[in-house]
Amino acid sequence: MRFNEKELVCLSRQPSEMAAELGMRGPKKGDVVKKRLVKLVVNFLFYFRTDEEEPIGALLLEQFRSPGYTQCRVERGGHLQTFSIVFLDEAERKYLFECDSEEQCKDWIDSIIKASYEFMRRNLIFYRTEIHRLTGKDPLEQYGISDEARFQVNSGSQLVVRDTSSL
Amino acid sequence: MKLHEKILTHFLSCTSPVDKEGYLYKKKERNATYYRRWFVLKANLLFYQDRPADRHLLGVIVLEGCTVQLLDSDGYFPFSLEFGSGLKTYRLAAGDAQTQGRWVKALFLASHCYLSCLVRDLGRQYEEVKQQQECSDSLSSFRSFSPPTNSLVVPTLGPSTVVREGRSFSASAALPPPSIPTKLAAKKSPKKWQRRNAHVTPLNGPAPPYGEWSLVGSDPLIEFRKLHDFYGQEVQKAREEWLRSRQTEEDRSENDLIDLG
Repeated sequence: MRFNEKELVCLSRQPSEMAAELGMRGPKKGDVVKKRLVKLVVNFLFYFRTDEEEPIGALLLEQFRSPGYTQCRVERGGHLQTFSIVFLDEAERKYLFECDSEEQCKDWIDSIIKASYEFMRRNLIFYRTEIHRLTGKDPLEQYGISDEARFQVNSGSQLVVRDTSSL
Repeated sequence: MKLHEKILTHFLSCTSPVDKEGYLYKKKERNATYYRRWFVLKANLLFYQDRPADRHLLGVIVLEGCTVQLLDSDGYFPFSLEFGSGLKTYRLAAGDAQTQGRWVKALFLASHCYLSCLVRDLGRQYEEVKQQQECSDSLSSFRSFSPPTNSLVVPTLGPSTVVREGRSFSASAALPPPSIPTKLAAKKSPKKWQRRNAHVTPLNGPAPPYGEWSLVGSDPLIEFRKLHDFYGQEVQKAREEWLRSRQTEEDRSENDLIDLG
């Protein structure tokens, strides 16, 4: 499948708040943990060999789940904080990342989840619906984008809708 | 660089919303000829293939960092996706002006950055609207009361005392904030101002001098409003704190529950 590689590499060089050296292990049997510079830009997770300019690869952060961070014991009684991302395709590919601390794990999971386009879209639809309910006005009207399929409340399948009563 | 294609193809075929799809013409870089392709726009990705039913994807364009330009007609209704100096320009065209306009708009709104700004903006609006609603809810429950001319009656809200005479009334009747958890409310106004039950006068001494009722003046209705405003500010602050803490609590707990499947 063709893709705009040069432009994507350029995207990977954009400044990002979430960029760090983490241990990374791929989904294939026999894959081992390797030190990588992992960088989150928009809804892509890029990973580089340290000190290389071009990323080795890019993971689209859509249609995945994160089982949450875990602690695993390593040799000599030490502990590692890890989190993983499992893609929801048939193969259920799992990528594991090793962090320095529990806090770092939490930050990464949080950022990755919130970077997903689908997650952001659901938030937008929630805000749109609520503002409309509370004020009688559609907040997207002022931007002239009320009719765009992209922002419709009933677009596509209904994924988990946020429970408004908790707010 | 490796782009993990299976993740993209799964994303394309899954049930999340398709933002736009249809036939467009795509110019090949080499020979400037238009080829008809089926395009599917989903999130910030533009996929293309020969026909809608095809399983084989020809390619994908990641739409971050590009500008969408309407171009002068060349027999078709062209537009371009320009990534900037040294980078690609994709030349596409529609069969009519309406299709062209719709695609240009849809592509313009497709970037992650755009959505990110929009969500932030709406999130702010939502918080403002919520706060305004809560304030007006508590105020309206006071304003709906209209007192008779000859006697002072404090609106009864919850277990408060109804005052029948003079200028004295109970502070606890002034501000019932139903949405604040009781432990927070207990820290604020009711403790700061000693409750004085107007019906109980001390048996062995005179009634408290006028000076102790610092906010009470000759017109009970005006003074009631002053009191309401004065303690209302405290209540509003407490409410904001509570809303903020609820929000962070919810954000934290949501991490464990999200399943983006």
